[in-house]
Amino acid sequence: MHTEHKVDDPPTMHDVDSPGAMFLVFLVVLGLAVANILLATTGLGKLALPVQLGIASVQAVLVAYYWMHMRRGDQVVTLSALSSLFFVFIFYVLVLSDVLTRWRIAM
Amino acid sequence: MSIIVADEPRVGPVPPEPAPLKTNYLNARSGILSWLLTVDHKRIGILYLVSLTAFFVVGGLAAGLVRINLLSPTGAIMTEDQYNRMFTAHGVVMLFLFLIPSIPAVFGNFFVPMMIGAKDLAFPKLNLASWYVYMIGAGFMVWSVLAGGIDTGWTLYPPYSSRYSQSNVFPGAFGAFITGFSSIMTGLNIMVTVHKMRCPGMTWGRLPLFIWAMYATSFIQLLGTPVVAITLTLLCVERLAGIGIFDPAIGGDPVLYQHLFWFYSHPAVYIMIVPGMGVISETITCFSRKNIFGYKAVAWSSVGIAVVGFLVWAHHMFVAGISYYSAILFSFLTMLVAVPSAIKVFNWTATLYRGSITFQAPMLFTLAFLVLFTVGGVTGLFLATLGTDIHLHDTYFVVAHFHFVMVGGMVLAYLAALHYWWPKMTGRMYSDFWSRASATIIFVGFFFTFVPQFVLGYHGMPRRYPNYPAEFQVYNVLSTAGASILGFGYLLPGFYLTLSLFFGDKATANPWSATGLEWQTPSPPSTFNFDRTPVVVCGPYEYAIGVDQLGRGLPEPPGPGSADDPASHHGPTGPAGPMHKETHVVG
Repeated sequence: MHTEHKVDDPPTMHDVDSPGAMFLVFLVVLGLAVANILLATTGLGKLALPVQLGIASVQAVLVAYYWMHMRRGDQVVTLSALSSLFFVFIFYVLVLSDVLTRWRIAM
Repeated sequence: MSIIVADEPRVGPVPPEPAPLKTNYLNARSGILSWLLTVDHKRIGILYLVSLTAFFVVGGLAAGLVRINLLSPTGAIMTEDQYNRMFTAHGVVMLFLFLIPSIPAVFGNFFVPMMIGAKDLAFPKLNLASWYVYMIGAGFMVWSVLAGGIDTGWTLYPPYSSRYSQSNVFPGAFGAFITGFSSIMTGLNIMVTVHKMRCPGMTWGRLPLFIWAMYATSFIQLLGTPVVAITLTLLCVERLAGIGIFDPAIGGDPVLYQHLFWFYSHPAVYIMIVPGMGVISETITCFSRKNIFGYKAVAWSSVGIAVVGFLVWAHHMFVAGISYYSAILFSFLTMLVAVPSAIKVFNWTATLYRGSITFQAPMLFTLAFLVLFTVGGVTGLFLATLGTDIHLHDTYFVVAHFHFVMVGGMVLAYLAALHYWWPKMTGRMYSDFWSRASATIIFVGFFFTFVPQFVLGYHGMPRRYPNYPAEFQVYNVLSTAGASILGFGYLLPGFYLTLSLFFGDKATANPWSATGLEWQTPSPPSTFNFDRTPVVVCGPYEYAIGVDQLGRGLPEPPGPGSADDPASHHGPTGPAGPMHKETHVVG
């Protein structure tokens, strides 16, 4: 008999990722790291920063989604994770307030 | 379910004193392995207490040697290189191994579950792991000191630290990296525990303010510590592999390091002080026999400090070459963080108003905290002001300012917590006279040590310099004399608290007549804290009507107990007295 599984119920085997799937994600993340290192030697010019940050972002999303179990997280967990992105956003904005205006001469 | 309070305050029935437990958390198991493998949050708190005390002694000795060297304008006992290594050792040990873990690791571990009516923290094994991780990180730092020390200052600024220093930067930085994980583990544990393990009736509006403070601290630990971890990793990468990240000679940006470092290390100041503020809210209510003034304001100001504290870091960099516009922005944001801090101080002061104040040692430490933290906070505003900071930056004024906050604030709050909860932790009372003497000596010694440093700094003596002009000697001698008084004051608790373990009177369950759940267990408590799950019926500080959080009456507070004693139930302003205090039941 199949019954609906609720969020608050204890975890079952169905909720646990298989070791094979987790290992596959691990290999993909490692592969992207190697790709990033190799790209650093190719001289992409102006494209280097966006491309390499893009790869790093994909790595971070894979780790969060699979290894940190975000894909099984409830709304509160998702909200907490997104709020940490907001926190990083604040850091970037305030650092850029220095970096982007550092060479201007004060009035 | 809530307590019903009639128009007239009333005293609830006082529960009988529980019989001392034959088996408590201290004697439930014996042997060294029972401590090293324990998952009991109270025992882990004791493990941290012993470790932190040892590192406090080491850091204090380094401070003593620094002060002795400064007795002479040319350096009394050390070479200049040795001096660099000594003040760095003082900073690294005190910050990473004492101040940052201090209250969360010792009293947070021990009392957060008890104060919310839980059996343990949410992840007991993670809790034990955090202690081991802390000790491993501390081992790396001890290695760096024993191998000759670090000469960069605790801030490890590159490019000196990453490219040029010949000292042991790597083990020190790696040790700080590792202890950071211990901090994250503790923060995670406390945050989950507060969310998930509160007993029935313990709503957010009834949480003791120490718990609010610990929750806000956990927020900073979780969000900030990973940043310094990756920063130190980058520093080590540049030092070991020569990859240009911070050194401009190889394409790096040294100001980037300062942004990353202070993005954690300024909020880390609040990791240190906010738990102390939580302690003060507990002790000031207990020893003035009053509900806290402005519960919600004090609770949310902890969260406010945690949030705003993340927006102010670049005030450490006003003279480091950051942009003029950015400096103005950070100056303004730094001023903002004074608002929640001031809210706390004003509310504590209002709590004292018309209180039945008694002056046991925890209260003396608390009052000293109020004075010293306020001075430290106000001088912080001088440094937040852009123009003033350019004059005072990197002078002894800054040293005095942060010691007023960190020692006058945080260390005294730590000592207040230690004296307040010692009877619960050990089941023994300590010497009332000597504990009051210690608090007084520390307060006096502190002033002698650090007030001259404000003058020195204002007149331009830079920090971290082993030499100074002869006209500064009188202030340095005053400061060193004060440090010796301060050191003596610190030694006293080491004696009388240790002696209390063997000769002290047995503590009752609630020796201070306090309201929190932790006092509703025998002293010392059992392994699982409570016989049955407590049910909370009211807020945490109902001293004016004389009931604890379970709605039961409070025992007589310590003191003469006569009708003249204002703290007594039947005293003039006691709950049953003719001039009983007005109150508003929280929660």
